[in-house]
Amino acid sequence: MAKLNEGLMLRVNLTNQEVTEEEISKELIKEYLGGRGLASKILYDEIDPKVDPLSPDNKLIFATGLLTGTSASTGGRYMVVTKGPLTGTIASSNSGGFFGAELKFTGYDLIILEGKADSPVYLSIVDGQVELKDATDVWGKTVPETTDYLQQQVGDEKAKVSCIGPAGENQVLFAAIMNEKNRAAGRTGVGAVMGSKNLKAVVVRANEKKVEYDKQALIEVVKKHTKILKEDGVTGEGLPALGTKVLDNIINENGIYPTRNFQEGTFADVAEVSGEALVEKGYLKSNKACYACPISCGRDTKLPNGRSGEGPEYESGWSFGADCGVNDLNAITEANFMCNELGLDTISAGATIAAAMELYEKDYIEQEELEDGPELKFGSSEAIVYYTKAMAYREGFGDQLAEGSYRLAENKGYLEASMSVKKQELPAYDPRGVQGQGLNYATSNRGGCHVRGYMISPEVLGVPEKLDPQELKGKPEWVKIFQDLTAVIDSIGMCLFTSFALQAEDYRDLVNVAAGFDLSVEELLAAGDRIYNLERLFNLDAGIDPQEDTLPKRLLEEPLPDGPHQGSVAKLDQLLPNYYTERGWDEEGIPTAEKLTELNLK
Amino acid sequence: MGLEIKFFSLLKLELKESGVEYDLDGLTTIEDLIARLDQDYEGIFSEKLLEDGQIKMGTIILVNGTNVLHLDKLETEVSEDDEVSIFPPSGGG
Ligand code: SF4
Repeated sequence: MAKLNEGLMLRVNLTNQEVTEEEISKELIKEYLGGRGLASKILYDEIDPKVDPLSPDNKLIFATGLLTGTSASTGGRYMVVTKGPLTGTIASSNSGGFFGAELKFTGYDLIILEGKADSPVYLSIVDGQVELKDATDVWGKTVPETTDYLQQQVGDEKAKVSCIGPAGENQVLFAAIMNEKNRAAGRTGVGAVMGSKNLKAVVVRANEKKVEYDKQALIEVVKKHTKILKEDGVTGEGLPALGTKVLDNIINENGIYPTRNFQEGTFADVAEVSGEALVEKGYLKSNKACYACPISCGRDTKLPNGRSGEGPEYESGWSFGADCGVNDLNAITEANFMCNELGLDTISAGATIAAAMELYEKDYIEQEELEDGPELKFGSSEAIVYYTKAMAYREGFGDQLAEGSYRLAENKGYLEASMSVKKQELPAYDPRGVQGQGLNYATSNRGGCHVRGYMISPEVLGVPEKLDPQELKGKPEWVKIFQDLTAVIDSIGMCLFTSFALQAEDYRDLVNVAAGFDLSVEELLAAGDRIYNLERLFNLDAGIDPQEDTLPKRLLEEPLPDGPHQGSVAKLDQLLPNYYTERGWDEEGIPTAEKLTELNLK
Repeated sequence: MGLEIKFFSLLKLELKESGVEYDLDGLTTIEDLIARLDQDYEGIFSEKLLEDGQIKMGTIILVNGTNVLHLDKLETEVSEDDEVSIFPPSGGG
């Protein structure tokens, strides 16, 4: 039995097939909590941040959060931490479903995978037995095929499978790792690292739940939280009914719905592709919950042609929809299904196609280069479906798309077309109309991302209070707190969506009761600050220049042409210096010695 | 032309209507508008949007794209040709 304040790590050397167990110190757990935090610390201590991300010298960590596998609401998440091939920064990608809890039940808090296997293998941890097994038969197979096959191989349909699809095998720089077929550790290209190691899957199944905590005491706290989550308008009503796609109309009406590769901020055809349309057209079949989740934001969908799957989520629907100028919900959903089956990050996949469409329409890509593929025109349903497949298999022009929008645009001599930060594609909010979110994009440690500090919540949704999206004052402080709290929520293994209703005090109560800690809210947030700074140190050592804390030129210089924020640009230059000060970093964006000492990072 | 009101999210799904157009006809503020909508739609608007007579956390009411919380909240004035977009508490990401 493993107590939550103790940790056990499984070390798997894929080169020589050696498997060992190691204890994780209690001090480290108290300082870094688990998941993203703890895994980042271990990665930073064990690899040279300058390694080639796709070489055997990189390591890949599957980590459960501190509370993963307990009864804490949404406490089922796991994270994959490594050096990312898309950005060259530390990469950390988070997924829900049931795999994380099952991994925790095996008694291992995290798995560290090193080296590279000679031929395709999968890691099986079933009923206490750890084995590396031959995966030659499933190499080349899609995510659902691999999942079904491996469950059969281990003889247990309840076994949970986390695997890559063809995109990961082909080292597409934004390949995802998928669990239970449709849940994704989507961003930053963690799937490509797994592919580079010849590791097809990790399969877990525990015959007893090796996790020990005061169940009675925790249940009391959880009951209180469940009530809050059920009664809250967002987590109790909005998310269950419409999922994340409720945002299409909200973001569009606010004029920050990036359209045709961020050339405009509103999409005239939004009614055709919104969350409401998904329900009205009858594509939505039911909602779906992850482990211990009272919210159920997931969507099971079915197209008129009988194809079924999960999604699209807001960001996925947007990247293939408005960002590509496509108003065909059927094609968007199909492209989303394909990303899940082939193992691609939906945001980067759609946004890279959008960048390619702009490049094509501006004559930076010649028609001959597309070989037999359809023209890359904004609005083309055919193109989004065709090139999604082509990039996963690196076929024809898909091979160039597989490198992501930054390398593509750079290669074609028109970098402006890549709407990315630190080479990762931006998600679905135009920062010209939400200044805090722009600051968050620019300072996210894993490159362009919305879930490192979701400023849309206060700046657009009004939760926990409504901030003026164009106001600059106070935003650096907000961004820092959101980033730190998010690092905590990730590291304890809960879903970020709980933070629409729960407060920092609520997370502290869970952590203290379950792990027997005695942390104050300040100490808990300090752990988030520590994690954020550690990731920053990794990036600095990896050679990421703080000058890269920026936004694409278009967003800084070209005013939004339409909508309620018409005429505004992202005012990052006015926010960044204050953000650095707030973080305890010097003018160059380097953490000061005092700050590092304060956080015990020296 | 009057006032164009657009319903979204659960309002749109439950009412099976995407909006309505009103003549101003004595209607000057958002508060008046909600009262009028309540009359026409069995009170669903104040139930979903308000709490203790105030705008509920997470409710979004936009007048020509600007959130009324940055104008005069429920006292925000509306005039001829304005477009009002209404969302009950919503979130995602
Ligand atoms: S809110 Fe959605 S993503 Fe989060 S745990 Fe629940 S079902 Fe999963």
